[in-house]
Amino acid sequence: MIEVKAVEKKYGRKKILKGVSFTAKKGEITCLIGINGVGKTTILNAIMALTPINKGQILIDGKTLDKHTFEKITFIPDAITMLPHMTIAEAMEFMDDFYHCWNQERATELLGFFRLNQSDRISSLSKGNTAKVNLLLGLALDVDYVLMDEPFSGIDMFSREDIANVFTSHLIENRGVIITTHEVGDIEHLIDKVVLLDDGMVSKEFSAEEAREIEGKSVIDVMREVYQR
Amino acid sequence: MKKYWKFIATITIIVLSIGTFYVSSTMSAESHPEFVIKTISGNAEEIKPLVLEGSYTSSMSYVGTNLKVTSDGSTYDSRSFLDKLIGQPPTVIKDFQEKYRTFMRGKDPLVNYFFENEEFLAYATVDYRLDSLRSRDFKFHISVLNKKDGSIDSFTEEVPDSGELEYISVDDVQKVEGELYLITRNMTRNNDNFSEEAHIYTINIANQKISDHEAIVDTTNGQSDTRINVRLVETTPTEANNHLIIVKTELKVIEDMESIREEFINQEIISYNLVTKEKETIDVPELRLDENQLSFFDGSLIYFTRLDGQELVVTPYSIVDNHAGKAYSIKLSGENGHVDGQLTTIKDGKLYIASSQLNADVVVADADKGEILFRGQVTLEDSSKETRQFELYLHEIYVK
Amino acid sequence: MRNYLKLVNFEFNRVAKLFAVLLSFTFIVQVIGVIVQSKSYLNMADKKIYEEFMPKAQFLESFGHMSFFQIIRSVWFLGPIAICIAGVGFYIFLIWYRDWLGKNTFIYRLLMLPTTRLNIFYAKITTILIMTFGLVAFQLILLPVEILFMKTMVPEEFRSDMGVGELLTNMPELSIIIPGSFVELILYYGTGLLVVSVIFTAILMERSFRWKGIFAGLVYIAIASVIFILPLLLQEFVLNGYFYPVELLVLEIITGLIILAASIWMSRFLLTKKITV
Repeated sequence: MIEVKAVEKKYGRKKILKGVSFTAKKGEITCLIGINGVGKTTILNAIMALTPINKGQILIDGKTLDKHTFEKITFIPDAITMLPHMTIAEAMEFMDDFYHCWNQERATELLGFFRLNQSDRISSLSKGNTAKVNLLLGLALDVDYVLMDEPFSGIDMFSREDIANVFTSHLIENRGVIITTHEVGDIEHLIDKVVLLDDGMVSKEFSAEEAREIEGKSVIDVMREVYQR
Repeated sequence: MKKYWKFIATITIIVLSIGTFYVSSTMSAESHPEFVIKTISGNAEEIKPLVLEGSYTSSMSYVGTNLKVTSDGSTYDSRSFLDKLIGQPPTVIKDFQEKYRTFMRGKDPLVNYFFENEEFLAYATVDYRLDSLRSRDFKFHISVLNKKDGSIDSFTEEVPDSGELEYISVDDVQKVEGELYLITRNMTRNNDNFSEEAHIYTINIANQKISDHEAIVDTTNGQSDTRINVRLVETTPTEANNHLIIVKTELKVIEDMESIREEFINQEIISYNLVTKEKETIDVPELRLDENQLSFFDGSLIYFTRLDGQELVVTPYSIVDNHAGKAYSIKLSGENGHVDGQLTTIKDGKLYIASSQLNADVVVADADKGEILFRGQVTLEDSSKETRQFELYLHEIYVK
Repeated sequence: MRNYLKLVNFEFNRVAKLFAVLLSFTFIVQVIGVIVQSKSYLNMADKKIYEEFMPKAQFLESFGHMSFFQIIRSVWFLGPIAICIAGVGFYIFLIWYRDWLGKNTFIYRLLMLPTTRLNIFYAKITTILIMTFGLVAFQLILLPVEILFMKTMVPEEFRSDMGVGELLTNMPELSIIIPGSFVELILYYGTGLLVVSVIFTAILMERSFRWKGIFAGLVYIAIASVIFILPLLLQEFVLNGYFYPVELLVLEIITGLIILAASIWMSRFLLTKKITV
């Protein structure tokens, strides 16, 4: 379980996060929703210790992050994390070199799944294919948790479909996923849990299934209630 | 392995190249020729304590290497990093530093500042602050080491009557009984008139106070076209002397259109007795002072030397009975019959003569009578082996 | 350790191109220098001896022999060395900023590697060191080759031959780069390593705190410099030369090691606790 506890974060004098708390369980897809600039990416960065937080605590399976945690959790940011001159094969080799949890079989499977060409250079890829390579490098790791930052933003329709398919496949099964988005449409039906962020705080945390089945509301309906109040 | 090749290749090249360079440079470092003092006549034992210091420069190189030539041959100062760092203080200072490491901390490595006898090692120096207008805060720093119990007496004393002082330097330190004598050269300024004098400060070690001070030789003079030089004649730094010998030279300054020349007018030799504070002018009518060099003073005898062709004429002069002894001459030979650059010293009644040039004579003689005990030559051990051009210049003579 | 070596190799491969460019530039320009300098000497000799009928001995008397020393002192030789120094100096900064700047966000990957983040610091500083030693080693190989080049061009009677060692002792500027003894090599490049570690720490401060970090970094550099020369200042102004030179050297080495340790500790803290992508 990933526990985010009363996290506060300032940029200069401006407080971006004013005490954010939520949890994300293994086997669930947790979606952080909020308008641009609300601090969704900052939360993911903070979980990975890629940016310091001013207050609060983040625990992964009850422990603070250290170097071993990176064999357990991976982050797929909205930007390519490999050197542009590398080919996809070289990027995969790099991952294999450093991570024990790299699963070459799964990587090959993903290559096929996304119809990517190993010898392509990263710098020559389209935005959609770049996102796919990013996903590939993250998902081919045998980790318990995957964080994804805006996996659908600025990507063409067909690539979106490909990526969305990943979420229903065995590639995601049994993992804890935190995904951020500002347009929930594509994946509304995939989400288990929703964390709505507003003005640096969690304005609502709820189970998508419960909302659907008990209250008969879609995620978008709830969002409307919260944001347009 | 394929992706490591650049890295491995680079590391290999670094190790091999730098390794080879430093291994070969340490092995080929010693390629200097060996110099020896070749015996021509006399007893080779006589030069056992003799050390000649100089520098060797090969024509291929622009930097000279210091070396010492003794009866055992030549040793070159290694230009290793540590040696460069430590520097090359005079041999006397080096000995002090080895023997009295604590005492020698923070002491300027200048032989003049030290006095040594059986029981004591004394050190005195002076410091002052330079201001834009004038120098001030003149202070003597004095340390005396008692060799027996290792106790160190250090104190600082203000220089008395330093109001008009412009500059002061310690020329010699002597110790007689409980008194320390600092012989200094003081430059004073009175408006725009500078004058230099030899001054002596008497310091009582027991109460750490300056008990007395006076000018030994005053150089104040009215005429602006003459200049007076005052020089303290060097003695063996490690020996006590009750007498100081000061040479006062008067020079006429002649200003030409192009240059400024100085012409010898008069020279006076003054002997000063530290204990009685008596001053005496040594008058040696039979010696023409402008021709003779006052070469050495060993406490009771002054040795005047003069080069006459290829002969060194030595006149001992006793200051005890104010009488010039019998002059004797020592024949020298030099490169192409040309004799110059004489290095002389006297120790324990023996006169040591060497030359700064290669293949020149090295002579040890009885200082009193001039009887030659040893004659030799500084020369290459094996001249046939040495094809390179080089220059050897000896500049220091020292007797252990 | 394994991860450290992998990272060093990776960082080295990243700089390999720049490294190769510097090496070839040095090689080409220095060899051209040898040719140009030798030719100009020979042309002058030709002119004096064959056109102006100057006797050979007199020519040598007034113009001297051709020695490699003349080449070493020319801009053909020293220029590439200066460029290489500038290149390494520039890369000390680029080695960090290239991971952040532009579209490249490789820093995400580096910081998320399952290894201690200090290994990134070690790998980068090792890369700088290897690059520097690589250039030095290459110059050491190049020197005898260039000397050979000159020997084939200039006839023996016009030449005054010098070995590499002799050239270096007579060229103080060069003996900073290639010191005369191994001890000095360690001390000089150790100091260099220390300087780089301090600069790295300052860069990480900037990367952690941005504008405020620039200020903090400059303050850190200033403090480190003052501490480093503190023994020398004390020796000179307070202790009146109390320490013997050897003792001072030991003190300086200890001070240097303390600063190095402080830089590493500070960098570790910044990389794990304060860094921002």
